[in-house]
Parts: sequence; structure tokens; C-alpha cells
Amino acid sequence: MTKKLVFLFLALVMALSLTAAFAESTAVTVTDMAGREISLDAPATKVVALTASDCEILAALGAEDTLVGRGEYCDYPESILEVPAVQSGADTNLEQIIALEPQVVIMAKMAQTEEQVAALEEAGIRVVVSDAQDIEGVYTAIRLIGALVGRNDEAEAMVADMQSAFADIAAKSENTGKTVYFEVSPLQWGLWTAGKGTFMDELATLCGLTNAFADVEGWAEISEEQVLERDPDYIVTISMYYGEGPTPVEEIKSRAGWEGLKAVQNDAILNADSNEISRPGPRLKDAAETLYQFVSGDEALTPAA
Amino acid sequence: MMKRPCSSFLLWLAAALILLLTMLLCVCVGSVSIPLSSTLTALWNALWGLPLPEGFPKAVLFSVRLPRVLCVALTGAALSLCGAAMQGLLRNPLADGSTLGVSSGASLGAVTALALGITLPGLPYGGNVGMAILFAFLSLLIILGLAYALDRSLSTNSIILIGVIFSMFASSLISLLIAFSGEKLRTITFWTMGSLAGSHFRHAALLGGALLVCGGWILSRSRELNAFAVGEENARHVGVSVRRVKLEIMIAVSVLIGTCVAIGGTIGFVGLVTPHMTRMLTGPNHKRLLPASLFLGAVFLLLADLIARTLLSPIELPIGVVTSLIGSLVFVVIFYRSRKAGGSSC
Amino acid sequence: MLNAENLTVRYGAYTAVSRLSFTLEEGQWLMLVGPNGAGKSSLISAIAQCVPYEGTIRLEGKNLRDFRPAELARKIGVLSQQHTVSYGYTVEEIVSLGRYAHQHWLLGRRDEKGTDAIEQALAKTGMTAFRNKSLLELSGGEVQRAFLAQVFAQEPEILLLDEPANHLDLVYQKSLFSLIGQWLQTPGRAALSVVHDLSLARRYGTHAVLMNEGSAAAQGPISAVFSPENLQKVYQMDVYGWMNGLYAPWQTPPESLRRPG
Repeated sequence: MTKKLVFLFLALVMALSLTAAFAESTAVTVTDMAGREISLDAPATKVVALTASDCEILAALGAEDTLVGRGEYCDYPESILEVPAVQSGADTNLEQIIALEPQVVIMAKMAQTEEQVAALEEAGIRVVVSDAQDIEGVYTAIRLIGALVGRNDEAEAMVADMQSAFADIAAKSENTGKTVYFEVSPLQWGLWTAGKGTFMDELATLCGLTNAFADVEGWAEISEEQVLERDPDYIVTISMYYGEGPTPVEEIKSRAGWEGLKAVQNDAILNADSNEISRPGPRLKDAAETLYQFVSGDEALTPAA
Repeated sequence: MMKRPCSSFLLWLAAALILLLTMLLCVCVGSVSIPLSSTLTALWNALWGLPLPEGFPKAVLFSVRLPRVLCVALTGAALSLCGAAMQGLLRNPLADGSTLGVSSGASLGAVTALALGITLPGLPYGGNVGMAILFAFLSLLIILGLAYALDRSLSTNSIILIGVIFSMFASSLISLLIAFSGEKLRTITFWTMGSLAGSHFRHAALLGGALLVCGGWILSRSRELNAFAVGEENARHVGVSVRRVKLEIMIAVSVLIGTCVAIGGTIGFVGLVTPHMTRMLTGPNHKRLLPASLFLGAVFLLLADLIARTLLSPIELPIGVVTSLIGSLVFVVIFYRSRKAGGSSC
Repeated sequence: MLNAENLTVRYGAYTAVSRLSFTLEEGQWLMLVGPNGAGKSSLISAIAQCVPYEGTIRLEGKNLRDFRPAELARKIGVLSQQHTVSYGYTVEEIVSLGRYAHQHWLLGRRDEKGTDAIEQALAKTGMTAFRNKSLLELSGGEVQRAFLAQVFAQEPEILLLDEPANHLDLVYQKSLFSLIGQWLQTPGRAALSVVHDLSLARRYGTHAVLMNEGSAAAQGPISAVFSPENLQKVYQMDVYGWMNGLYAPWQTPPESLRRPG
């Protein structure tokens, strides 16, 4: 009698847990990076992603086919350009998004207002905020997006890959105390640098460098004389080269008064890919490797500027 | 009535001395501090070709600060002179490159040159500067043409209104150009706000040349500007060649504003505020007003740039932000006081 | 001195002055009179080369169009009806501007002759005491006197005046007209003025052009032009009767004034 009861009870528990497990495999519940809980009956098959990094994450997870719309500045990988673009940023175009009938819209915090979110939710579209501020945040974003499109395993693999790459670099790098100056906007238009709280700053630390402008918060305009005064060991410019005139590296070398800088004299100037190094996506790993190779002076791997 | 000082030699000597001291101050003070004594020694040694003291930050002083201070002083002087000349010519105390929309027009020209890749062979900034000057002149023609067509008396309000509308028109064209030309021009957005960072001795030479020729020309037309400031009809009656002088002044102003905008972007309020302040000191006579505006404009912009460079060091503020901030406050004060005094102060 | 032939001034489709001819001789004070809209001010503007016109105006035989602005200013001075003052120029600065046409085009130095002319103009108009005052602090009559001093300092041969005493107090009216009368005493000078007030015109003018709808209804010596018939024709009213009714009571002391019925 007791045995029977126990058996029945066990069977019941097993059945319940089985159904629960079965239900879990289709329904998705995630907490986005603004702390909002989002539940879907099944992994999303139609997604609009407004930021370039989220598009890159989706593509890297092999879920590019779920993308029915992209923000206008999303341009990587190249195949993504065939996906319809919607206006993003300050004037996010809600009509365009709703017309694409996605289940989920992924956007960054800065690109949304309460009204926009409410309008989208009213149209039956779930809004997910992906807003990575540091490398840890990028992992969260990858896992979040992986869960949304039902690619948890791929997401974990990607995170593990990035973690090991960063750990590798960190292990190989020793803190030399050398400084790096990141140039976001060239002298011609006023010098802008990336200070504390930027991915560039984090990558510099990873590679054993100190950001010469760690006392500046975020991206900021700085004075030329400060660069000369701080005399960085390395200069990393993210200016694009348009195929005419001097390259960004040549331009920096030709600046009056800069010829005495350590970085100029040692030819330690890198023209990094602006998108790689500033987007909170999977390519941060590539940027970190480029920076490491540049700093460690591995001749064979030093990229042509 | 304030007793007006004569245009004596001593007074101009004092003005030049104040300018020199301000320039010296701006050369010495910056986000990197260099002791005054070593700056002076370095300048002195450099002047006589002597070797510099060991460990002296000579790149900061000679490659960054000195050319910048020169460019700022020349830009301030040129913009202020232009403002004073326009205010006289149009008999309108609110006229200025920025309020009339000439600066925006010049910006449009410079941006067009960048977008279309227009260059003049042999001249490093020829394309930018040339287009900025051309567009500044065309803007002036359009604005004054519209103003005449709408209101022959060229009343203060209608001409400023047209200037504001034209400014918006030019700015929206710039935005359109930037939107259509992709990544390359987006960086320009920083520059259109006005920045003299990255000034070079070449820029200073260009500004100096423009100021020498066009500024000199404007200074030589002070009697005519007096006549215009009293009234265009009156100017004609006393024998001024109204059309010719107007054209000359407009060309000179366009060249100066175009050059300044091509090098430093649009820096507002300098041409509006400094002539106002100067007029309170010298009275409206252009014989004194124009040269005094020249000095005061240079001093004003130098101090504004000093604040922009040092206030949040190492972060640098756009100079246009500082001039507009100080300028609009000073403007309100002047406006309020002149209204209260029945308009007798300027 | 001045001789206009078939002068026509048009503003678009509107013809302000139509084929008008007249001459101004040395010593004359020619009054342009007529009702509103007769084209008097347009005529002054045309002579001052401020508006486009058809026909020819000659000064001592030379076409006015061939004069350079400064050359013209040395011959013809203009005193406008009103002056809008924007900046606080001093009286002396305003008067000095009158010397513009006599100065070197670039250097603009004031010579001894110029200084004399300015001092005399200030003295004649009684503005010497005001010389350092800003125009913004002066009354309308004082401003007008400052500009009269300017045109005196300009030393022209012909003075054009457009309603110079409009809006002015009687005392300024009187001083202005007598000042111009004195100025005309010097040989080689002539004046042409638009005057609305027929009594003033009659009192000071030597000659007149009576204008109606852009053309001359009568011209010649003042006595001939101001005939009752001419005035009746142009003004469509009994001008003599009205003027007599207006000014006759001033002959008697105020006690005898009666309220108008």
C-alpha cells in the first residue's frame, strides 16, 4: 500500500517534471539588460535589431535568417545589407518596424523612449533592451540574444571562445605601464579620445596598457597639448582611410610638434578598425587580438595600417 | 555724455600693449602648465635663435599653443571688424556674420568643397577657403537682395529675420549634404560648431594676409562707413559712391568671414558683442571704432579660447560654446542698459 | 545753373513726375508747391540722383548723370525731411561728414579750409555749443539744424530741401528758413525746396513751380505763379479766401477772438 502510494507519487512527480521540461523547450523567458522580463511562447523567428553590434551577434550565432529588419547603420557582415533597413537612433521609425511584423525588436537603451516602447508593445511586438557597457555586458547580450532565438548552446560557445581569447591575451600580457592614446577624431576636426568606461579603455587594460586619458569619462574632446604633454607610448587611431591623401597614420606623423612623441618616433601607431574596436559585439575579440599583436610587436602578425 | 578720448598715439599704444599681454597670457597658460619665466626665456631664445632650455616642452609651446593663439587673435580681430563694418553699413546694431547668415553660407561653401572634393592646385586650403568666400558673398547678396525686396528701409527686424531664415536654410543644406555623402563628412559636424584646435602657422599666415588686405581696406573706408551709419540717403547726399563702397565692404567682409569659417568653423557672437562693447568706449565713429574693435575682438576671442582650453582640462570645450555663452549674456546686459538709458550709450 | 528737360519719374506703373521742365538760376529760391501726391519729393530725389528718371538734368551745361557722386556733392547739397538716428554720433561728427566730398578719397585728412567750413557751419546754425552732444540727446529741431550745418559745411552751390521744416516747432521753422535765406545771400548759390505751407513758400520763395499730378500747372516768379486762378485750379478751393480767414485774425489782439461758429 505504502509502496504503491510512493510509486504513484513518484510517477506523478516524474510526469509533472516531464511536462515542465517539455514546456521549457518551447517557451522562452528572458530578463533583458534593462531588467525587464520578456516571455515568448517559442524562440523568435522574426527579429528586428537596431544596433550594429546586435546584428553582428545574431549573424555570429548563425541566426541571420531570423533578421527581418536592421538599423540603418548595421553593416556587418556584408550579407546583412540585404535585410531591409529601418531608421534608428534619435528618430527610430516605428512605422517601418511595425510593417516588418517582427516578434521581437532588439534595441539599445539610448535608442528608445517610453512612448516608443509602449507603441511597439501595443502592436504586439516585444521590445528587448541590449545595452552592453563592458565586455561582461557583451557576454550577457550574447546569451540574451541566443536565448531569444533559441541558440543557447551557440551563445555559450561564443562566450566561452571570447573568454578564452581575452584570458589568453591577459595571460600573455604583462603590465608594462606603457600608455596608449586612442584617437577617435583627427586633429583637423578637433581631437576626440576614448576615456574611461569605453571598450577601447578596457582592451588597453587587457593588453597591459594604461589609457593615457583614463581621467576622462567616455568619448571627449581634448586639447592637443595634453597629448603632447602625456607623450603616449602608443597611438591607436580609428579614423577611416578613404583612399586619397595621407593615411591616418601618415597624417599623425606629419603633425607639427608631434614628431617628438615616443609613439611617433617608435612608429607605434595603429590604425584600428573603428567598428571592430567600438562595437560591443563578437568582433571585440578581433580588436583585442589586433591590439595585442600591435603591442607585443609580433612582426608576422602586425597588421598593415 | 561721456568724454571721448582723442585717437591719440598713446591710446593705441595701450591697446596694442593690452593685446600683447593677453597673447602672452594665453601662450603661458594652457592645459599643460609651463612656468611664465621659462616660457619667456624660451620665446626670447627662439626669437634670437638661441638654444632652448633642456627639457622644455617646446612642441607644446611652438607647435600647438603659439599658432593657436595667433589664429585665435586674428580670427577674433577679423570677425569683430566684420561685425563693426556690417553694423555701420546696414545701420543695424544687430548685424553680424552669424545673425545675417553669412557664416552659415560660408560653412555651406566649405562643406560643399569638402563633399565634392574641390581643390585649387598649389593652394593647400584653396578649395575650402575659396568656396567659403564665394558662398559668403553670395549669401550676402541673397540676404540683402531679399531684405531690399521686402523692406526697402532695411529695418533692424526684417533683415535679422531674413538672416535667421537664411541661416536655417544653409544649415539644413549642410545637414543634407552630410547625410548624403556618408561617413566621410560626418566628422565635419564637429567642425561646424567652431574649433581652432589644430591651428597651424599656415592658417595664421592665411588669416593674417586676409586681415592685412581686406581689414586694411575696411579700415580705410571708415569715413564712408560713418556716412552709411548715419543713413544711406545721407551718405549719397554727402557724396559717397553708395553702390561701389557697399560692394567693396561686402567683398572684404565675405573674404574675411569666409577665411575665418574655412579655418575655424562658425564662431558666433564675436562680431556682434565686441563692436557693441567697443562702441561704448569709443563712440560710433568708425575711425576709432574699427581699430578698437580689431583689438578688442582679438582680446575677447583669446580669453574665450583660454577658458575653452583650460576650464575642464584635459577636456576641451568648443570655442563657439564659450563665445555664445559669454556673448549672449553680455548682449542681454548691453541691450537692457541701452534701453534703460534711452539708447544713448551706444 | 540747373536746367531740367522732360523729366519723368516712374515707380512701376505709377508716374510721379511727367515730362516736367524748369530752370533754376543763381540767387533764386525756387519753391515746389502743390497738393499731396503732386510729385514734389520725387522731383527732388531725381535731381539728387536717388531715383531713376527719364529726361535730362543739366548743371552748368553738364548732364548730372555724368557727375561722380563726390563731384555732385560739391555742387548740390540735400537736406532731407527727417532723419532716423541709429548711433550716437556727435553733432561735430555729423557736420564733418559734410566735408567728405572735398577730402582725399583714401586719406580723408581734414584741412584748414575744411575746419573753417565746419566751424562756420556750426556757428551759423547756432550748434557750436552742441558740438560734442550725441544726436540721440537732441530734439527733432536740433537734429535738423545739425544736418543743416552738415549741408552748409558741404559748401554746395545748390541746396535741395525736402520739406525741411515739417514737424518742427515754429521757432525752428523760422530759424531754418531765415538761415537758408542768409545762405542764399552769397553770390553763386541757389535753392530748390519742397514746401507744403503756401504762406512760407510765398514769404521766402523768389520763384515757384506749382505742381499738379506730376506736371507743372504754372511756373515762374512767385507773384505770377501764386495767382488766385492758378491756386484755385490746382487746389480746387479758394486758397486766398482760406488764407485770409486763417491769418487775418492775427492782426488783432486776442481779446477780440471769438469761437468759430
